[in-house]
Amino acid sequence: MKTIRICCGTGCLANGSLLVAEEFEKKISQASVDAAVECVAKRTGCHGLCEDGPIVTIMPDNICYYHVRPKDVDEILEKTIANDTPVERLLYQNEQGVKIMSQRENPFYAHQTKIALRNVGTISPDSLEDYLAADGYKALKKALTMSPEEILTEMERSGLRGRGGAGFPTGRKWRTAAGYDVFPKYVVCNGDEGDPGAFMDGSILEGDPHSVLEGMAICALAIGAEEGFLYIRDEYVHARRSIKEAIRQAEAAGILGDNIMGSGKKLHLSIVRGGGAFVCGESTALMASIEGRVGEPRAKYIRSVQKGLWDHPTVLNNVETLANVPYIILHGGASYAAVGTGGSKGTKVFAMVGKVKRTGLVEVPMGATLRELIFDIGGGIRNGRPFKAVQTGGPSGGCIPESMLDLPVDFDTLKKYGAMMGSGGMIVMDDRSCMVEVARYYVQFLCGESCGKCTPCREGLKQMLAILTDICEGRGRIEDLDLLEALGETMQEASLCALGKSAPNPVLTTLKYFRGEYEAHILEHRCPAGVCTKLTSFAIDPDKCRGCTACARACPVNAVAGTARHPHAIDAALCIRCGSCREACRFDAVYTEGRDLS
Amino acid sequence: MKITINQIPCECERGESILQIARRNGIEIPTLCWHDGFPGQGACRLCIVEVIEGGRAKIVVSCVYPVERECEVLTESEKVRRQRGMILALLRKKAPDSPEIQALCERYHAPEIERFLPETGSRCVMCGLCVKACGELSVGAIATVNRGVEKEIATPYHEPSSACVGCGSCAYVCPAGAIPVQEMEDVRIIWGKTFSLVHCQDCGRVIGTAEELAAAAKKSGQEPDTLCADCRKKMIALSFRHTYGEIHR
Ligand SMILES: Cc1cc2nc3c(=O)[nH]c(=O)nc-3n(C[C@H](O)[C@H](O)[C@H](O)COP(=O)(O)O)c2cc1C
Ligand code: FES
Repeated sequence: MKTIRICCGTGCLANGSLLVAEEFEKKISQASVDAAVECVAKRTGCHGLCEDGPIVTIMPDNICYYHVRPKDVDEILEKTIANDTPVERLLYQNEQGVKIMSQRENPFYAHQTKIALRNVGTISPDSLEDYLAADGYKALKKALTMSPEEILTEMERSGLRGRGGAGFPTGRKWRTAAGYDVFPKYVVCNGDEGDPGAFMDGSILEGDPHSVLEGMAICALAIGAEEGFLYIRDEYVHARRSIKEAIRQAEAAGILGDNIMGSGKKLHLSIVRGGGAFVCGESTALMASIEGRVGEPRAKYIRSVQKGLWDHPTVLNNVETLANVPYIILHGGASYAAVGTGGSKGTKVFAMVGKVKRTGLVEVPMGATLRELIFDIGGGIRNGRPFKAVQTGGPSGGCIPESMLDLPVDFDTLKKYGAMMGSGGMIVMDDRSCMVEVARYYVQFLCGESCGKCTPCREGLKQMLAILTDICEGRGRIEDLDLLEALGETMQEASLCALGKSAPNPVLTTLKYFRGEYEAHILEHRCPAGVCTKLTSFAIDPDKCRGCTACARACPVNAVAGTARHPHAIDAALCIRCGSCREACRFDAVYTEGRDLS
Repeated sequence: MKITINQIPCECERGESILQIARRNGIEIPTLCWHDGFPGQGACRLCIVEVIEGGRAKIVVSCVYPVERECEVLTESEKVRRQRGMILALLRKKAPDSPEIQALCERYHAPEIERFLPETGSRCVMCGLCVKACGELSVGAIATVNRGVEKEIATPYHEPSSACVGCGSCAYVCPAGAIPVQEMEDVRIIWGKTFSLVHCQDCGRVIGTAEELAAAAKKSGQEPDTLCADCRKKMIALSFRHTYGEIHR
């Protein structure tokens, strides 16, 4: 019996994997009567290498195909399914030009360790049977034979820290909530995932929904909760559907609901649609939102484990945190703690995007270096350009320069250098990214996403944006840099919630590691990356230009003139400085200079 | 239990806020979003203090920080002054037209940061007290709208609110004088709406707007007031005398 796994994660769906899946299903049902080999087609969650999708894997042959189109289906059925031979042209080709058969040997996957994503991409998220066959709900069954104390001890032993950003020890959080004799208690899953560019939690919710439900059920047993909520980002329609179906199946099978696996214990889970604001992912704002109030954070001097939802003890955990829980209970905390570093155990999922060759969803042991992530897994920078910086942790994270690429990625190291693990967003940048503009972008994002309640965050962000915009447009002053730092310090110290406290991070880290770039903007009215349009003019080096006309064709305003095989030139009066010509040039002939602002 | 604030020993209960304890002991901490009636917003951040607990110092917001164990509080440490100065410097630009806020900035030596952009014509510091007052004392006619840096306080769709009864509670609690109230002989104009004023039948003093008195009457199930508080007392005293005669002491 062969299984054809068709990736139906968000990336592959966007590339048309649904049509591929339908084609497989149609062809298999038509041919099933006289097929020599029995086979099933399965729609799975994200395989990770979205870049090269739609992805199809054939088991047990362990063959992985990329960029599969509906027209490839016949050939795959005939060659691989019926005759055990690979379709060469759909295989992955490595840098040396060697065709690679299995997923494991693909350099993108070879360095990964999958725990949280253990089932994502291999099982069908709609099928409870699939989950059960992959050891699903065995941990819950085991937990039912354990005392709450034993579960808590196992969780503490695992060293698991929250994957939502703050890295709070999960076992300790659960133990505190378990210690209060106030009922009802609640367990909440944070599926709000608001970082621009992040899709770790969405992929788990879509690709392996039962693992999150199982994690919540184990938490409920440990703390004594009988009700739980999954707060899922408004845009995540697929994730919500997948979770809803999983809850329905688990309840129908007697795994959740009024009588968990016949134990007499209860757990009712419901889905809450996110309020559509980044700040709603913050724990206290999220709880306010579930209660039907405005999603604004409150002071956290009294913790949610004591007074959370409706002032009752509440454990709130991130999706990825919860997906790790069944693994820990089933295999033991010690086995989980064997992976990772001293202070950060286990693995971490990252959504790696930007100027890296292979973008996608990756899971590595804590302590892997940024270099391994970006170069070994991601394959380095696109188009052979130099690496400049990597932004971790989204709007609350920081930008890390080349000199720090060998730092281990874990909670404490990143924090020490002013960046943040955050929830796992990772944006890779090359020399054509302007670090001032990156800082400005995040501040602008937060200007719209802050709840606007406290002074340092609301007013601080507003003034920061004005100053950064001035710098990007050539109106900066050198004293601005000290002022940005002073303002950043007040925001970090005095803001109400972690949004404001971490909002200056992108500014402060770029000021620390890329100060020269700020100075070039201010003192020389020049954007070294050629991004800030007010400070940049584009020109073509006649010695490098081969007259290939690529730039002229790319220019949206016909500002490039020249005849084929002769050097081209840019008409500065027409140029809108969008950079399309530079992107299009294969000979590195387009360069940027500062502009005369007078 | 006991804590010290600026080296002064202060008795307190567990769970009391630092601000409460300081106020009781005559120690000054500036506030904007805090009001006796509506504590615990923690929005303006002006009331920050430094707390040293178990050898570790941290900045906390005194109006909501509950004292759980013995600690040392500093209301004027170098760090508090610096951060509070920056917060005030931001508010100075948020409400350049508010004499109250400008005076507060002078009093606490807030730096004048020319580089910050002033919001033209604004007096509001977004402390949120008006919304609280309207919601809890009156009818909930105003609310915060938008989020982020665009957040502001307004009536629905910036139009005269049908719910507003013109009671003026919002203007009364505002620490920045940001809510304009115009009062003439017989009318009060607030939030773009004109209300007719009701005068005390005896002394002629203003006792409120007709809408406000009607709303209060509806809540209590009685007829709307026609006398001011003083005249009502006088009337009660008169009828007392009528019934019992002059009381001689
Ligand atoms: C502005 C802001 C946004 C946040 N967004 C998310 C989010 O989208 N998902 C998430 O899991 N945690 C988010 N967090 C972190 C949560 O507040 C909380 O720490 C986390 O969900 C706790 O779960 P954990 O211990 O499993 O990490 C956010 C925090 C802040 C300050
Ligand atoms: S008075 Fe404490 S935050 Fe405003």
